[in-house]
Amino acid sequence: MSWNAKKIAEAAAMVALSALLHVIKIYHLPQGGSVTAGSMVPILFLSIRRGPALGAVAGAAFGMIQYFLDPFFVHPVQLLLDYPMAMASLGLAGFFKKRPIGGVTVALVARFLCHFVSGVVFFASYAPKGSNVLAYSAVYNASYILPELVISAIIVSVLAGKVKLD
Amino acid sequence: MFKGIVIGQYYPVDSPIHALDPRTKVSLMVAFIILLFLAGNAMSMVLMGIFSVLTILLSRVPLKLMVRTFRAVLYILILTMALHIFTTPGTRAFQLGPLVGTYEGIRQGMFLSIRLIILIGTTSLLTLTTSPIALTDGLESLLSPLQRIGVPAHELAMMMTIALRFIPTLMEEADKIMKAQMARGADFESGNVFQRAKSLVPLLVPLFVSAFRRADELAMAMESRCYRGSEKRTRLVQLRMGLGDYVAMAVVCALGVAVIWLRRV
Repeated sequence: MSWNAKKIAEAAAMVALSALLHVIKIYHLPQGGSVTAGSMVPILFLSIRRGPALGAVAGAAFGMIQYFLDPFFVHPVQLLLDYPMAMASLGLAGFFKKRPIGGVTVALVARFLCHFVSGVVFFASYAPKGSNVLAYSAVYNASYILPELVISAIIVSVLAGKVKLD
Repeated sequence: MFKGIVIGQYYPVDSPIHALDPRTKVSLMVAFIILLFLAGNAMSMVLMGIFSVLTILLSRVPLKLMVRTFRAVLYILILTMALHIFTTPGTRAFQLGPLVGTYEGIRQGMFLSIRLIILIGTTSLLTLTTSPIALTDGLESLLSPLQRIGVPAHELAMMMTIALRFIPTLMEEADKIMKAQMARGADFESGNVFQRAKSLVPLLVPLFVSAFRRADELAMAMESRCYRGSEKRTRLVQLRMGLGDYVAMAVVCALGVAVIWLRRV
């Protein structure tokens, strides 16, 4: 893709907004996860507005900033999957310009898969053999991705009506 | 809502670890992690532990901050310990109701927990001793060889730098908008998850509009200064390796040799 100052500045503003919304937790889950005030919305919105490639790069930037601000590191593969990859996968929303809600769902499912695999890798290397790693990772990650999905879908659908997409 | 929120972990003091080049810190951290996963026996784990403790002491980051880092993983640590102690088959050590703890389990659990503690303690030093901007610069420099295969290293780093600069500005703005909407009767703090998501819309719409406007202005300013991406761009502050960086690399190399040698014994 070709780069210009406008794309970089816009992506940067959305990354900053995501990082800001990430700090506002509107709901804390008992096992430690938390639901943010739609922290993925700016990245999703950027992907829908400017295409998946820019969305993915901005997502990776957001993932890295998230790590700088609030690091959680227990395994090298977990680090890559939980931060840059999980957030870069939000760029997938950009393939669904006409159907923002569908795009948000696909993007969040992709993000869920990243965290799911990361959880499996992590638990497999620390939990004893034979424990039910798959189920634990799926339940834990779904417990915060699902509410995030609902919140992001609500906000994106409202925003798509109010801000011009092109 | 934003009162007292500190963005980032950076703890600015003057220490030999703070003074290292961010590139050195990132690459040595990667090397350290590889070594940690290579370290297979108690002796090499002790060596890694000593290195870890010495680095933490050298960084002059208060222990209180380190403890905060560990609180997040306490649950995982306890779970790891418990699962290993009670599920590893072997010689019986003690019994808790129907659960039988084994010596092998205790050994295995201890080993993994100590590895996790060393891993978290040492890697948290990276973000504690390096400012996010310095980290971004280091990352750009380390990723730049990948530009040939199409990784947009410069653009990624530029985005992160601008975003880091934008966060406090947008935070102030969000605070202002929130207060303005609350004065009009908006309620951000009650209701279930769905109601809260909806109540965020009057905050997010002005925030988005303002963020896009700022981005527009910034893009114009960049273009009028002839910003053309990474091509032939020079920097005011150049990253430079110093004596400390070479010493740190030599120490980690020595540690690597020791760990690999201990694997053979």
